Amino acid sequence: MKPLLFLDNYHITLDCTNPYLQFHRDFRKRQGYNSHFCHRKSSSSCYCGSSSSQSLRNRQFSRYFHLMGDENSNSAPGPHHNDRIKLNVGGKLFETTLSTIQSGGSDSLLAALSNRTTHDPNPSPVFIDRDPEIFSVLLSLLRSNRLPSTSRRFSKQELADEALYYGIESHLKSAMSPPPFSGIDASVVSTIRPASEGLPSAFTAASGDGSIWIAHGGQISSYDWNLYHTATIRTHLEDITSICRVWPEIAVLGSESAAGLHFYNFSDGRHVGTTQWTDPTDTRIYKARVTAIADSQDSIFASFDCPHKENCVLVIDKSTLQIASELGRQSGNSAKHIVPGKLTWIPEKNLLVGTAVTGGAFGYSGYIRLWDARSGNVVWETSEPGSGRSSRFGDSFADVAVDTDESTLYKICSKSGDLGMADVRKLGDDPWVYLKDRNPSMRNTTSGGGEGNSVIQCYKKQVFVGRGGGLEVWSRVEGRENGVENESGEGFLHRRNYVDKVEDCERGIIMRIEGGGDRLFVSRENVEGIEVWESSHSSATVSVL
Amino acid sequence: MPPLAVPNGFRQAKGGDSNIVTVNVGGQIFQTTKQTLTLAGAKSLFSRVSESNSVPFIDRDPELFSIILSLLRTGNLPSKAKAFDLQDLISESQFYGVETLILNSLSNPSQFDAFNLEKSLILPLNGRDSPSAISTTPFGSVHVAHGSKITSFDWSLRRKSTILTQFPAVDSLLSISPSLAAAGATDFSGLQILDLENGSVKESLNWENVTKSSSTVQAIGSSPEFLFASFESGRRNSNSILVYDLQTLNSVMEIGQNEIYGAQIDSAIPASKLSWVSSYSLLMASGSHSGIQGVSGNVKFWDIRSGSVVWELKEKVDCFSDITVSDNLSGIFKVGVNSSEVSFADLRKMGAEDPWLCLGDKRKAVNGKKEGVGCKIESQGNQVFCSKGGDLELWSEVLMGSSKKSKDGLDDRVFRKNLMGRVKDMGGSKITNLGFGGNKMFVTRKDQQYVEVWQSSARVF
Repeated sequence: MKPLLFLDNYHITLDCTNPYLQFHRDFRKRQGYNSHFCHRKSSSSCYCGSSSSQSLRNRQFSRYFHLMGDENSNSAPGPHHNDRIKLNVGGKLFETTLSTIQSGGSDSLLAALSNRTTHDPNPSPVFIDRDPEIFSVLLSLLRSNRLPSTSRRFSKQELADEALYYGIESHLKSAMSPPPFSGIDASVVSTIRPASEGLPSAFTAASGDGSIWIAHGGQISSYDWNLYHTATIRTHLEDITSICRVWPEIAVLGSESAAGLHFYNFSDGRHVGTTQWTDPTDTRIYKARVTAIADSQDSIFASFDCPHKENCVLVIDKSTLQIASELGRQSGNSAKHIVPGKLTWIPEKNLLVGTAVTGGAFGYSGYIRLWDARSGNVVWETSEPGSGRSSRFGDSFADVAVDTDESTLYKICSKSGDLGMADVRKLGDDPWVYLKDRNPSMRNTTSGGGEGNSVIQCYKKQVFVGRGGGLEVWSRVEGRENGVENESGEGFLHRRNYVDKVEDCERGIIMRIEGGGDRLFVSRENVEGIEVWESSHSSATVSVL
Repeated sequence: MPPLAVPNGFRQAKGGDSNIVTVNVGGQIFQTTKQTLTLAGAKSLFSRVSESNSVPFIDRDPELFSIILSLLRTGNLPSKAKAFDLQDLISESQFYGVETLILNSLSNPSQFDAFNLEKSLILPLNGRDSPSAISTTPFGSVHVAHGSKITSFDWSLRRKSTILTQFPAVDSLLSISPSLAAAGATDFSGLQILDLENGSVKESLNWENVTKSSSTVQAIGSSPEFLFASFESGRRNSNSILVYDLQTLNSVMEIGQNEIYGAQIDSAIPASKLSWVSSYSLLMASGSHSGIQGVSGNVKFWDIRSGSVVWELKEKVDCFSDITVSDNLSGIFKVGVNSSEVSFADLRKMGAEDPWLCLGDKRKAVNGKKEGVGCKIESQGNQVFCSKGGDLELWSEVLMGSSKKSKDGLDDRVFRKNLMGRVKDMGGSKITNLGFGGNKMFVTRKDQQYVEVWQSSARVF
């Protein structure tokens, strides 16, 4: 075995009780590196790095001035200082300060290097047997908290692997992640296309770091925060119509073709278990398939639908994986009693929202129902057409979305194409407020609600609407319309803007929109792959010289 | 240029007050002079480096530092800088506190060269709205209003940010400081001072008009001290120009309040363009409207101190489609709405009855067609830029060695035009906005979701 690191002719000391480093050793073993670490008592303590760029800059300045102060107090200046460190990476010499390499986090490999003690005033550089060019990129990242343009010489995956080696992956992650997603300034950055059977049947981006799990043709593919393909597993299901990531490694699946709710462990690709809806006292409850899944901190909610349309929502305890309760069993014999096609959990209010929409020859019909999770009671429900004093008779909703941060329901009307908003805290007979927009360039698009498919999704206090192939965003801006109180009586205006360009909408009808991390994922009818939309501070100029 | 440090360097004996400064940047040793480092300015990191009496260590990338050092030495970026992204250099220069040096070397207004402008860059805008208004800053950053959004590009045009406004569509936009802009719309009440960094409304200014209706903004202008806004009441029967202090945003005075009584519509056309004429300390306010007898309008020169009109031009025949004033050429230029020809009026003959001198085909003035609708005219430096449809004309004065004196004792002046751009740049959609900043010209076109940047190719980084 060849030692990887040398330090003054000693082997580098690493604290092997540190679980993170342990992990790194494992990683290297997995990657097939020969690693050899010897142990030596280290007296230095660990330092914590901060990640905000401002504080980093301040720290760099203060470090600098601190240095100057030292020199002024020492009347005999020496070229070497204890807080500086020389590294020899793959034959190239680098010099930096301990605080820079410690800013990678107290348990990074680089920080471990800095924990050595030496009394030699002129220590020889620490040798690291890695590529120097990619190290210089990562060192720039640690120094300035941004990736230099030289990083483009390397693939994102190379950078991520190398950052993992040095233990500064979180640093790289924050530097490579897109800025906060804003629908008014977003563009398609890539399309994720699974290698086979690329038509996505369901996907989830719920982990919040911009990673996504895509179900396609009975397989699930996972793409990490970098949108790099990490794994694909084949399930026993022929098709997967709903997917929910209930734990970082556990997917819960529902299928049109097979009964039950299926648990899969992603790390080893194994089927973990299946939950079925059964009732020995009722013979009509059999072969119940799952149509929608949602999860809360401690429960999984899944709507089950039997061949004869008997349906209910099962609440499954996350700790025991046992069925805890059953919500709203119904016969399914009318549009008001069909199975919910969409479930959303509102954590703040402890409410589960189930919505069902069917489109037929006579237009759309459906309901929205809110359950209190603790009592299992229906708190509020509405069905369209028909219930309440709806001011929009005959204009029932085509899709419903819940803004869980703001506890607001949004519906898109099937005929007029208007957007309706209802505050969950003030639900009543007709809680809907219809949003007006005055964007002159969108005047002739509202009537498009009737034709084609309308889908709606809330993300980061914005409402995204897919109308046919077009993608628009409703954003809130503080203010009042010419001094007049607006619809909701609050000081907000809703502004509607296109997210996409005309050429984008020609790619196909939007089927599903979901936000995750600082990305928006969009799938289109009969189009392979999933579009990734991001905001960017880069102006993406095009040279026309 | 920093003086050579050789004599001191040779002596060396003085040690402490030697002119040579040695720094260790990321493991590489650099040597320069104190004079070079002082060029970076008192606020930069370098001013402290030169005070040190040992070799200071700066924990930054040495290659980027060598470029910054070349910039300090020569005032220009070395060609090896092209190996890096401009954004790298900018953020590194921000660390050292010398961003203005890069800015001066790449986007200095003095480098503006009208005859050498080429269409070089496209700045794409997200969404489907075309730009409705643009505003530039002297160092070449540009703010673009498209729909209800304003996208700002920094001076390097490498970074952008977008904010959402309350306006359904922004019609007037004027940048008043690096992060503030005044915005208004013809269908939304109030002039708003927007913080372009976070999108918040810093101040909302309204005109308290007699009809107690809303007040929409028709035009925004500024002088070094004042901000001007042309308001029209929501019922469109009165209008006024308000003058605000640019620093405090307090209303200073109100000039030219008009009210319409009966059919005298011509008497009360709101100003749709406000330009400051710095050499005369006058505000040029121009407005026009289209009636049954054709387009008519007026141009008024206001003395802000007295609040009175110094010169008023009534535009009846071939009214302007757009008008601009050039301080350098000491004249005003209009493009006629009927003729689509450029005319010139000498500011030195201020007060003249019919000051216009048509620079193109004079016969077209009375043809009754409206060929010039939508033409834009702007001046920058010693040139005047006029758009006709998708084409751009560049007008410049030819200085003649011997020229006839006209009867009022002033020289007859000669202006000539050129079509801008290469053959491939000609035509295209109708030009809707022209703006100038740094060494660049910005152009927007109808139904195009981008901004064109024209600059000298030698200055393209």
